[in-house]
Amino acid sequence: MDHTEKSYLPRGEALPQYYAEDRLVILPRDPYNIFAYWELSLPTREALKEKVGAEQWPGVTFLLRVCKYTWDSEEVVESYFDLNVNPEHDNWYISVQDADRLYHVELGWKLPQGSFQKILRSNSVRTPRDSLSDLIDEEWQLPDWKAQKLFRRISLYHLSSAELFRRPKKIK
Amino acid sequence: MAQGFLALILHAHLPYVRHPEYEYSLEEKWFFEAITECYMPLLMVFEKLAEERIDFRLTFSLSPTLLAMLEDPLLRERYRQYLQRLQELARLEEERTAGDPDFAPLARLYRHHFDTVADYFNRYNGRLVNAFRKLAEMNYLELITTASTHAYLPLLMLQPESIYAQITNAVQYHQAIFGEMPRGIWLPECAYDHGLEDIISELGLQYFITATHGVLYASPRPKYGVYSPILTKSGVAVFGRDPETSKQVWSSQEGYPGDYDYREFYRDIAYDLPLDYIGPHLHPPGMRSDTGIKYYRITSEGLEYKEPYRPERAREKAALHAGNFMFNREQQVKYLSAVMGRPPIIISPYDTELFGHWWFEGPQWLDFLCRKIAYDQQHLKLITPGEYLDLGYPLQLSNPNPSSWGDKGYHEFWLNGSNDWLYRHLHKAAEEMIALATTYPEAEELQKRALCQASRELMLAQSSDWPFIMTSGTMDNYARSRAENHLIRFRSLARQINEGTIDPAWLSALEQADNIFPHLDYRLYQSFESTVPVELTAGAGML
Repeated sequence: MDHTEKSYLPRGEALPQYYAEDRLVILPRDPYNIFAYWELSLPTREALKEKVGAEQWPGVTFLLRVCKYTWDSEEVVESYFDLNVNPEHDNWYISVQDADRLYHVELGWKLPQGSFQKILRSNSVRTPRDSLSDLIDEEWQLPDWKAQKLFRRISLYHLSSAELFRRPKKIK
Repeated sequence: MAQGFLALILHAHLPYVRHPEYEYSLEEKWFFEAITECYMPLLMVFEKLAEERIDFRLTFSLSPTLLAMLEDPLLRERYRQYLQRLQELARLEEERTAGDPDFAPLARLYRHHFDTVADYFNRYNGRLVNAFRKLAEMNYLELITTASTHAYLPLLMLQPESIYAQITNAVQYHQAIFGEMPRGIWLPECAYDHGLEDIISELGLQYFITATHGVLYASPRPKYGVYSPILTKSGVAVFGRDPETSKQVWSSQEGYPGDYDYREFYRDIAYDLPLDYIGPHLHPPGMRSDTGIKYYRITSEGLEYKEPYRPERAREKAALHAGNFMFNREQQVKYLSAVMGRPPIIISPYDTELFGHWWFEGPQWLDFLCRKIAYDQQHLKLITPGEYLDLGYPLQLSNPNPSSWGDKGYHEFWLNGSNDWLYRHLHKAAEEMIALATTYPEAEELQKRALCQASRELMLAQSSDWPFIMTSGTMDNYARSRAENHLIRFRSLARQINEGTIDPAWLSALEQADNIFPHLDYRLYQSFESTVPVELTAGAGML
């Protein structure tokens, strides 16, 4: 038996690198980092090239526009920043400033003197919190001195698993 | 009335590692070792406690992949042979060490251990799930489920249907095996993201468990920290892991398992004895990999100098550590109940494979702990999360915080440069599966079989274990090829289904090879927007 048969794969099948489609996806990694991956299909790239024109094309830069929503909304973008990306790349880890915020990302291009032209828009994700919530439900509140006692004790022991594990975590 | 509660939660999971195509596989050995060193020793501890009518409660999360392996006839037969070889080796070791004051008693101990687990295995006719079921029916264990193939859910949220399928199939499979609906669910790697609670609640599950900061950083701020569950808007309770107890058992500095009297995991006779002697008893034969027979104690920090293991000393330490753990919990509940004005619940979840495999004395420690809590104190009561909810304390409405119990506390261990390439493919495959299930809502025969097999391949590709292993960097080739191969099989099936060119011989071969969840219903993947009603099989019909 050769390996192909042993792994029950039909001959000649492999995982494609891309799927011939336009797509931009973001995933939250932690409170301050978002992972983005994207694909610009060949027809989209060709159409873009045509639109820009062969002369201008070498001057085009690709950008990720990282949009942050206002604290309490899922509609209103409060601010954004742009990151240059190499057109050959297909993913990026984006550092963001705020935990517990909704973000979405746009992939676009611009010419040296031009403005940002959007090609793709991602899904939205909310970054995780990295601290106690400031939101207090008055019906669910300990007196301050008690709350301090409780939370101080928890934070005393709150270690990351890196500090906890010396040995591998699993049978692997 | 107890001042507080302790919920010990053991999470038992292994990825689906069944390789009929090879005579021996190292990955199947993970499973065999876990049965010999963890699951059976723990079950024996619990049965003994039950026999002696000792009042104890534990929560056990059993992953559907693990259950499927425990129920698989081929793996059961292979395990029997594996255990026989170990028993033979232990006998040889008894002869070899005869007269040696240090090692002869240890060889005897292992021989006795392997013989005992073999008897136990035979007593249940190899069906260890029945041992769990019995203890659950006697109310000693609360059995809960987790995602079908232990998928890392927060990174798959873009296709909620695939989360729904992961959880629904798990609940149905659990129900089919244990005859009862699980009350709670263990989120794989304690990994939570907003929105999971809606699916969990829809399926009638009452609770899940998160890392400490899943509850601690919930919003609004949880009045009782992690010492009471919070309630999500969808009505599911969320229990947060207690950081003190994780530290005491896990910490590399202060954790119990690192005690110098305990058995050293990294010194196995597989590496110490000549190959012509030990070779035939290794798995696979001739290749040096752990046998489970280990004669030394940890002794010191370094790996060089090791002294022979002294079981009695280790046993005394396990008793001492159980006493210490209990004492600390008593102090903890006294402190917390005074602050809270109601009994706290301390949530202590552990990987089951810690007990017996890494920490050889772990099952003994648990045994001592349950006995001591039953007899030596009054402040603390063992409880399960389900029983705690039955007590009816009002719960605070709050949104849990996205988190995991992995390194750094969020998703990085499953999303970094070593494994991020995978998600593009997993998302695409989930999207295609949803499209297939929506396009062919009433498939029959060959097409139906192909659709169900495609669902299995997708689920197997989604195991959190593959990105986990890629990050930890040992056996990463195996993990990569497992993820890739399931995805390729999925894609080929999808193409054949869409083109109407299903290859029956290949499909049969796949059904034999990736035979997990024989009654998995592909219609679980139907788009949430589609309106075709389907009736799903549940209960015993699933087996």
